[in-house]
Amino acid sequence: MIEGIDLVVTRGLVETGLLTTLPLRPGDRALVAEGDLVAPDDPVIERLRDPVVEDALVADGPDVRVGARWSGEAAGTLRRRVAIADGELLAPHPGSAGRWRVVTADQRDLLLSPVAGAVVAVRPGVAIEIALSGSALRGVLAAGTISHGRLELATDRGGEVRSGSLDVGRAGSVLVVGARIDAEALIRARAMGVRGIVVASLAGKDLRDFLASERRQRAGIHPSPPFAVLVLEGIVRRPIPVSTMRVLEALAGREVAILTEPPALAFEGSGLDLPRPAPDLVRIRHGAHAGREGRFRGLAGRRRFDAGVHLEAGWVALDDGTLLAVPLNDLERRP
Amino acid sequence: MERVIPDAADRSPGPRAFLAVDAGTVTNAVSLIGRVEGRWRLLGATAAPAGVGVDALARRVVERLRRADAAIADHLGLAPDRLARLPRVTSRTVVPPVAAVVGGSGRVAARLASAVTLAGWRPRTVAVHDGDPLAITRVLLDPAVDTIVAGSADPPAADERGHLVELLELVLAALERRPELTLVLVGGLGRQSARVEDRLPGRPGPTLVAAAIVGEGVAEPLTELMHGLRGDDDEGRHALVTATATLARVLGRRLEVVEIGANSGTRIRAEIAPDGSVGVASATIAAAALVPDEVPDGVVDGVAGWSTLRLDRLRLRDRLRELRVAPWGEVHGEGAELRLAAARAALTRLVEATPHLSTAVPDLVIAAGGVWSVAPGSAVGLALADVLRRPGAAGLAYDHARLLGPLGTIEDEVERHAVIGDLVDDLLAPLGSVVMPAELRAGRAAGDLLVHAAGGMSELALVPGGLELVDLPPGEHATVELRFRDPVVLGTRGRRFAIELGGGLGGLLVDLRDVPLRLPERPDRRRELLAAWQSALWAGVEDGR
Repeated sequence: MIEGIDLVVTRGLVETGLLTTLPLRPGDRALVAEGDLVAPDDPVIERLRDPVVEDALVADGPDVRVGARWSGEAAGTLRRRVAIADGELLAPHPGSAGRWRVVTADQRDLLLSPVAGAVVAVRPGVAIEIALSGSALRGVLAAGTISHGRLELATDRGGEVRSGSLDVGRAGSVLVVGARIDAEALIRARAMGVRGIVVASLAGKDLRDFLASERRQRAGIHPSPPFAVLVLEGIVRRPIPVSTMRVLEALAGREVAILTEPPALAFEGSGLDLPRPAPDLVRIRHGAHAGREGRFRGLAGRRRFDAGVHLEAGWVALDDGTLLAVPLNDLERRP
Repeated sequence: MERVIPDAADRSPGPRAFLAVDAGTVTNAVSLIGRVEGRWRLLGATAAPAGVGVDALARRVVERLRRADAAIADHLGLAPDRLARLPRVTSRTVVPPVAAVVGGSGRVAARLASAVTLAGWRPRTVAVHDGDPLAITRVLLDPAVDTIVAGSADPPAADERGHLVELLELVLAALERRPELTLVLVGGLGRQSARVEDRLPGRPGPTLVAAAIVGEGVAEPLTELMHGLRGDDDEGRHALVTATATLARVLGRRLEVVEIGANSGTRIRAEIAPDGSVGVASATIAAAALVPDEVPDGVVDGVAGWSTLRLDRLRLRDRLRELRVAPWGEVHGEGAELRLAAARAALTRLVEATPHLSTAVPDLVIAAGGVWSVAPGSAVGLALADVLRRPGAAGLAYDHARLLGPLGTIEDEVERHAVIGDLVDDLLAPLGSVVMPAELRAGRAAGDLLVHAAGGMSELALVPGGLELVDLPPGEHATVELRFRDPVVLGTRGRRFAIELGGGLGGLLVDLRDVPLRLPERPDRRRELLAAWQSALWAGVEDGR
């Protein structure tokens, strides 16, 4: 082992056995149970759209408890009697025996599993946890609704996609769009039926604009299919790292899923020959050479960098033969 | 009690050294401490992002020692194959936990949230009075929530009496779904704790009761209870408080520690009573993290107010979000300046959140947290003086090796006192001293200053609004004589003062600016002024621009 390489942060490139969480809000119905195996497109959650709370008289029984499903008629005057089809018992009404608060809604949406895996926990009103059967590539943040589609490369790792270049020909795909994408292109991609975007960086303004658009979209009577964006690196523009791009190239044409909790790109790794980075391969994450990769050549000692800051550095040999002293904090290994 | 640190009297061939490990949420710091010539001494320290293992850092520190002085390494038994057996004292910092805070009225909920905030928790606050049951249940069931704090006045006030039954019902319903949650019942609601046991017998999570909130401060029973729930004694910030108390006793001085971390900020005051006992008050504030979650507008404005970089709001927000994602990334160049601006803004939030700790000027202000390591001592001293605006004189120091936290985990007080007593000259890097008079009349020479140091006497004119730096190296002490034309406030009101002060990496900073500091409203003029002050004290800062 090269001296000092253990002082470089290690972040696994591809993980297995990742646990993903699907939030369950009060009233949502879990369609799976602990121990169930799920496949992509299996229904897992029935979500209430615009849930409301109704009062109901509930006859006592062994199944009457917080979080249980219940159907019947809401309490109220004879003029205002509402049928509750499959609501959830939220809490007993204080001060009146047999009277409960029930969460229900007129409209419900089905949430389909984007991945194959095993359900490890179902906590009504809280979350469902699924252990992935495949592998995953982690990102730093994800926004939107979990989704899946076939992976397509739209640009090279340092490129950028403009909204005009997206058309319905990309429908059903998860697009890798290089260094950055703006909100306009994200919104157009969703409108064109694209299922997800994988990008190196996303500016805060574009994320905020996209989230606002996504909220409006989900509030509609006929919302568009699920769409998610996965940010691999951070906020400030930079290219997708070479080693990550090689994994994405190997996945091109395959089904992948974008998860939001944790942010990750999930895929079935069986039969896939993923590139294995060399053990001394390091990536420069920050600074003037951000995004470049090279071979770690040992410790360079404490050095003075811009603004008179003294930092522990390491030698990195780039592909073009350049030897750079880079702060160890700006380096990363992804074995 | 099991001894973690090797006994000083131990003559066995085992290692006569130990590692002090500060395992933070984003940083691991390792210090090597060995017994040299009858004293514990700091022999080396290093820090790296949390993704780098403690063992790798320990190896690096020991290797450095071997290269620098193999004889000491041999004497201490620091052979490479013995590293794994080297005793360790470890403090671990935790991410601020989340509490769902629910009160019968908005007023009570706000007071509960305030008490919880001072204990380093992130509250999600709702009131039954004006909330709907579904929204309240969503807050209580948020997967991020670790603890529910529910309370009322004692006795319940008129505006909450009608809502307490419902409040309790919603809390119990949430606990049925998540029985593992800790429940804290406060004030009048505490009398309902038996109902929780009746309804949910044997649930895994504890139910605790705290007395009603009567004032506003860290001594509130709820704040103390929540402090305890945040972590054990080896939790980094608890240990920092313990070590500060011991350090105050060792030094016999009033201390103030301001720690800015990646996920929280902590302020600690240690006062010496006339009988020699030490009183400690502290608060940990999640919102005083270097860059809090989600980077709210107030945080962006705060950093913009201290920034010397020409960044528009959107770019500044993005840089701060990037700093949140990668706290160790690009700590040089512009990154260093951005960090120091963010540190000033975080310190401002910390001071604003803890007015009860803004009492008399302490003898020594200690900066803690990795963010201060990016700048030279003089620039750190300036940053502290920019925010901690109190008329008086104080020494400034930096916990450069992040030793205070780990040393605070030594259980036995006598042992802790002995170790900190030995290490006191090593664990604090002296930044210098600051003299900050207030109520100077603007626009004319205010008087003059005489510094009597070992190297001779120096004299300079005191110009209101200015900053003067007097070279006073670490280890040196000087008598500073200040003669003002008009009365000023410097601890007390007067015209002539003589103060004994210690030197440091930044020397003696004579700060004649306004107290509190007034900066130009126009961003470009403010930036120019801040840059002028900073560049005078930070050699090389303009390299990165």
